[in-house]
Amino acid sequence: MKRLLPLLLVLGLGYLWAAPAAAVAPEAKQKVLTAASKNLIEIGLSYRGDQIHFFGVNPVPGSDVVIRLTAEKEEDVKLSVKGRVGPFWMTVKQYEVSGSPFIYKIHTSKPLDRIISPETAQELELGYAAIKKKMKMHLARGEAAPEDADLVFKGLLKIKEEGNLYNIVQDPKRLEEAEGKLFKHYFRFPPAATEGRYLVESFCFTKGQLVGYGKDVIEIKKVGLENWMTQTSQNQPIFFGILAVVVALAAGLLVGVIFRKGGHH
Amino acid sequence: MDIYLPIAGMSINFFLILGIGGLVGFLSGLFGVGGGFLLTPLMMMIGIPPAVAAASDSNQIVAAASSGAFAHWRLGNVDFKMGLIILAGGIFGGTIGVQFVKVLRAAGNFEFVMKVVYVLMLGLVGGAMFMESLRTILRSRNQGATAEVAVASEPKLGKLFAKLPLKMHFARSGLNTSAIFPFSIGTIVGVMAALLGVGGGFIMVPAMIYIIGMPTIAAIGTDLFQIVLTSANVTLQQAFVNKTVDLLLALILLFGSTIGAQFGAIAGKRLKGEQIRILLAIIVLVLTVKLFLDLVLTPSDLVSLAPAKGGGH
Repeated sequence: MKRLLPLLLVLGLGYLWAAPAAAVAPEAKQKVLTAASKNLIEIGLSYRGDQIHFFGVNPVPGSDVVIRLTAEKEEDVKLSVKGRVGPFWMTVKQYEVSGSPFIYKIHTSKPLDRIISPETAQELELGYAAIKKKMKMHLARGEAAPEDADLVFKGLLKIKEEGNLYNIVQDPKRLEEAEGKLFKHYFRFPPAATEGRYLVESFCFTKGQLVGYGKDVIEIKKVGLENWMTQTSQNQPIFFGILAVVVALAAGLLVGVIFRKGGHH
Repeated sequence: MDIYLPIAGMSINFFLILGIGGLVGFLSGLFGVGGGFLLTPLMMMIGIPPAVAAASDSNQIVAAASSGAFAHWRLGNVDFKMGLIILAGGIFGGTIGVQFVKVLRAAGNFEFVMKVVYVLMLGLVGGAMFMESLRTILRSRNQGATAEVAVASEPKLGKLFAKLPLKMHFARSGLNTSAIFPFSIGTIVGVMAALLGVGGGFIMVPAMIYIIGMPTIAAIGTDLFQIVLTSANVTLQQAFVNKTVDLLLALILLFGSTIGAQFGAIAGKRLKGEQIRILLAIIVLVLTVKLFLDLVLTPSDLVSLAPAKGGGH
């Protein structure tokens, strides 16, 4: 999306001239210089998530810093909603949700609504309210009800927050700033954060106006046995299936030989 | 110590999986059942996606059953003719079952139907087993010797089924009986394997002993033989179609269950048959109550992620 921004900017120039107040072009602002403790996370056998530290220089000393972590890809999910049928609880409707980020974390040193207006938040997609407006729900089965939009969004938030894929931390301890110029913070990438490219963006605001912007790209990829198993199972399923059965048979027979009386019985 | 499961896409404690494998192995060593009906729900409880849990479970069963099948084959306990007829039924039933699962998943209530079937089936099997073993224990307390006689008597249903057409001679089991019943029970268990992700030994073995009239040891050997082939077939299908077999998960489970099974077998030797059966009945009934409560109690989360991939047997 961000890569498309310059293009959109050009195409929408006429519109932008007509409505200058609504236009925010992050990459046209002063660059926030940042450094990450690493840009590549490798998923190996003992992977349990990872943590990356970020350091940055605020180009406009004293401005408010907002950091956002998102995945490059968006995700389409299907959510089931349970309801009561007689004495039982069962799935009564399903929604297909698109446009919701796979991962979404925000760090600020003070509440977001004291830094920017709801309109700016919406435009830059900062905060849960902006996410809710952006995502699209499509009823796949069952009967829609007016409260569904809230119910499904809250349900999705809860699932994501429990997986540590979504969170918003508005705490100066988490986003430390020195003399209003240097800032440092870290993001925890949970184990559920799978292979792909992730964006860490730094926004600086003065009096609600965007004055600086910077971006880091973090890549997560599987290596070694993990990579081999994933690639093989997805790209050569017939070979992988036969391998799984042969390995299981061999392991079972080996166990039988070791214990001489044959495993379970 | 955490380990990252590549297909499940999650990091989980290595010893937790090993322990669950060990527990299920212990129970299967103790009771002589496969334990698939415990393993899949337990895997789901610790957060493994249901489709991956069921598929990897099948993979693990291939390994667990093959060591037993191999040992029984060497001891001459496998009735291959009977096994192949049951297997034919199993593959037929499994194919129907997979289609049935597809329809249910499209309707979004696979999990609900799965739990209802589990509750009905486990409640029935657990209840019957509990009553039967309780009666045996009470009778042996009162009279001592007469308890064994009741088990040894010829099954009446078996005589009835033997009169059906398609008679065959089963040398290993010493039986002259119709092929229709073994094929039908294979079909029923095949449907259940697809629907519930179980091996079905806990239905198959009693049916072979009490209804077909096979000797106990031949029933167990033959059952293991057909389980190896049935679950190998399911593993292959899951790998081809749904790509949900986590070989790493299956291997850790196998490692745990192998060790557990050895302890289970030792514990089994110290307990009497009816004591083992009443214990198994209690475990089955507790699981039934838990699943039933899942169906009727208000869930903590009304909204849940629907499985993106197919599978779940």
